[in-house]
Amino acid sequence: MTSARAFRRFAFTFGGVVPVLYVVALFRDIALFTVYPSLGLVMLGTHHSRDVADPALGFLAPEMYWYGWTATATLGGLAAGLAATLVPDRWTQRLGSVWVWVLPLLGILGCVYFELPWFRR
Amino acid sequence: MITALLIVHGLIAVALLGAITHQTLAALAPAGAGTHSFFARFRRVPPASFANAFVVLYLLSVLLGSVIYLQFRTDVRPILERDREWQAIGLFDLKEHFITIGLGLLPVYWVCWRRPMPNDSGRTRTAVTAIFAFIVWWGFLMGHVLNNILGFGG
Repeated sequence: MTSARAFRRFAFTFGGVVPVLYVVALFRDIALFTVYPSLGLVMLGTHHSRDVADPALGFLAPEMYWYGWTATATLGGLAAGLAATLVPDRWTQRLGSVWVWVLPLLGILGCVYFELPWFRR
Repeated sequence: MITALLIVHGLIAVALLGAITHQTLAALAPAGAGTHSFFARFRRVPPASFANAFVVLYLLSVLLGSVIYLQFRTDVRPILERDREWQAIGLFDLKEHFITIGLGLLPVYWVCWRRPMPNDSGRTRTAVTAIFAFIVWWGFLMGHVLNNILGFGG
């Protein structure tokens, strides 16, 4: 029962924190790593190939951040979730469970806002 | 190879879509005992029994999608950019964001269906399931939109 409650605390914290951290990672451009699929290269941290190359040549080494953003949010969520397993049950009960679906909904809205420029072109 | 992966990814997505649609409707509007319509039978499934399968299918789908996504970025997206299909790119980007939010919600979803507490209201479970229904339907539809724009893998 104790481990079930601890896992529940972990799950509810993880579920609330991951969307928030993911949106923060999107807006602040914090990818744990950057993937260059055409080069078969993975680099730690956020890198923009156009920082060092001619912008017109950017297509030669397209970069991917989704894996890194996901890793950033997941790691943060894991850390927060594990921390939640260490605190007494009453602390998390006081917070209620509404935020566990409200925060993902807000995260979805944040992602839509982030992508709006594609629809204004 | 990538076309085969895409087909498997699509098949898993169909199973995922069926499971979450059954489950969401059963959670939102449980069917009464006396009704025998198709819609009532569709909702009269034991929704908790879908949870483990859904988690496994979701993870499998994300894993396959992550592999296919690499080729999408190098072979398909540059063509979309060349053809100025900005909305399609935005719609697909939203798919990837929503999938990650779903990954975060997966443990909560599992706990809500498989390890509920006696004092749970059911509102959280219904809300989380509905969010997953939205994510899975969005992912499925946007995947098809992109696939049909250029004939990915053709």
